[in-house]
Amino acid sequence: MSDAVMGEPTPIISRKDPRYQVTMYRHVGVDGAWTLDYYSSHGGYRAAKKAIADMGVPDVIAEMKASGLRGRGGAGFPTGVKWSFMPPVDGRQRFIVCNADESEPGSFKDRYVMEDDPHQLIEGMLIAGYAIQASIGFIYIRGEYHLAYERLLQAIREAREAGYLGSNLFDTDFSFDLVVHRGAGAYICGEETALMNSLEGLRGNPRLKPPFPAQAGVYGLPTTINNVTSFASAVHIIDKGAAWFSAMGTEDSKGTKLYQISGPVARPGVYELPMGTTFRELIFDWGGGPSMEIKAFIPGGTSTPMLPFSDEYLDTPMDYGSLAKLGTMLGTGGVILIPKEKCMVDAMYNIVRFYAHESCGKCTPCREGVSTWLPKMYQKLLAGLGEPGDLELMEEMVTNMRGTAFCPLADACAMPVQASFKHFRPEYEYLVEHGEPMYPKRSWWQE
Amino acid sequence: MIELETVKPFFTDKDELLDEILGRYPEYGRRSAIMPLLWEVQRAERHVSEARIEEIAEILGMHATEVKGVMSFYSTYHEQPVGEYHLQVCSTLSCSLAGADEMTDFLVEELGIVNGETDAEGRFSLQKVECLGSCGTAPVLQVNDTYFERVTRTRCVQLLQALRSGELPEPWRERGGDNVSAEKATLGGDDA
Repeated sequence: MSDAVMGEPTPIISRKDPRYQVTMYRHVGVDGAWTLDYYSSHGGYRAAKKAIADMGVPDVIAEMKASGLRGRGGAGFPTGVKWSFMPPVDGRQRFIVCNADESEPGSFKDRYVMEDDPHQLIEGMLIAGYAIQASIGFIYIRGEYHLAYERLLQAIREAREAGYLGSNLFDTDFSFDLVVHRGAGAYICGEETALMNSLEGLRGNPRLKPPFPAQAGVYGLPTTINNVTSFASAVHIIDKGAAWFSAMGTEDSKGTKLYQISGPVARPGVYELPMGTTFRELIFDWGGGPSMEIKAFIPGGTSTPMLPFSDEYLDTPMDYGSLAKLGTMLGTGGVILIPKEKCMVDAMYNIVRFYAHESCGKCTPCREGVSTWLPKMYQKLLAGLGEPGDLELMEEMVTNMRGTAFCPLADACAMPVQASFKHFRPEYEYLVEHGEPMYPKRSWWQE
Repeated sequence: MIELETVKPFFTDKDELLDEILGRYPEYGRRSAIMPLLWEVQRAERHVSEARIEEIAEILGMHATEVKGVMSFYSTYHEQPVGEYHLQVCSTLSCSLAGADEMTDFLVEELGIVNGETDAEGRFSLQKVECLGSCGTAPVLQVNDTYFERVTRTRCVQLLQALRSGELPEPWRERGGDNVSAEKATLGGDDA
């Protein structure tokens, strides 16, 4: 290909590139992939052994930094850099925590990884635990993920029996064990400081940052928190090397990532694609194309501002920088298609209702704005009672919610509302003017 | 107090379980056991009563109010018993776009209870819940701990029939996307 001409290999930004390999998601959906037998016969724990027995701690962190992996939970902070923030070892207990409280609407990648490939998460946490010199890891999993919880417990038992968890792993001084902690239905616990409070047996209110978890985390001790698929990525980075990982993706977004697609599309689901893949490739080539006319798409979970479904936006690479340029975010990579015939005001009310339900009530902009007045305004409009001035009031409310709340939840609600006003204001205006939506209610349920 | 003394403590003859749960956390993190202890009680009794809250508080050396304060923060602990089959319909966007609202209406009609209620016999409870992480296989209906995915109207009728005859069917585990096994063969990779 062009490699010979250019001298430097071109980055892999499409799954159609013959050099691309699916790694993290390769075994999901295969019957029995959750057993240690299956995992070890497919190269399982090879990377953990390599990291712990053959590499020094600084080498593991250097490899992670060189890979360019950014946190897959949504915020996109470089994982290797985060690991390097841990204070020097001083005899205090240190923790590695897995954020498996996946609850952002449109996101469902972590569930499948934990259900079908739990050993991959354990191996990733082993590597991370070694890199930050933590001997205890917590997996904070949302309470509804019962099958994943059972599979994780089973996998941890198997790993202990086989000597992958416990003392003196791979004949070294390193010891490590895992505890699975179930959440109980609270989206806010996906925010890392709320997660730590919940893990400590407190209400899941967010904490003030700083101090950051590396300084004062779980029980006030040095802690590092990563997403399920950040850990899964670490396994393959250590196994195949940082250069393999960074050969995929765009300038600010390296490697492979689990994208999700839902809504009216032929083949909804999770697809592992190189970063920088376009929305068009995900939606049409892998998702099989929309099953009805689409007017908008949410790029990465409901908190990310939507974009119109048009050529102008469909060729956008799904990476951090390209989406930031469009005033939205990559988020969790959970794409949702919104059909033309769905009333946009009703769709937004669904999203607003979610955040209203999940607000913890700690701070005023979120308690009064997200949780109280915004849903009330939507209810008023949808009841056909909208009046002149209501839309301006709503816009003013969401503007005032931006950047004023204690944690990102209020922004997560305000930003998509603003985007819907930006791109679909005529639907709001129609509803206020006519007292009924531009697209009337219909059934979406299949026989 | 008289009422409390008549209730046999839940963890009385469950020393092993209690030790296992408390043993998960460091001594200074004993309080972390609140959530798993609440889960154990709820799993067995379908709710957590005042008496159990008192008991958990005593085990952890806390006030009952503190335990209650934690419990009330989370949406999946119940103060009142839910039915034998707790039907939880995900109503967030992707499920709504796949018919979750119509499914809820259907269940309301069929069961004669509305969102948040339990029927008189204590068989069924109906609850609209927020995103269950099953957006690619929407709509999803969670019955107790089990997910039923891609619940079409036909499947919903079948499921309800089975539950009414006292049988919880095998879950429909749908995947889609990269989970389709036939496509795995074409993925490449060298990890064998």
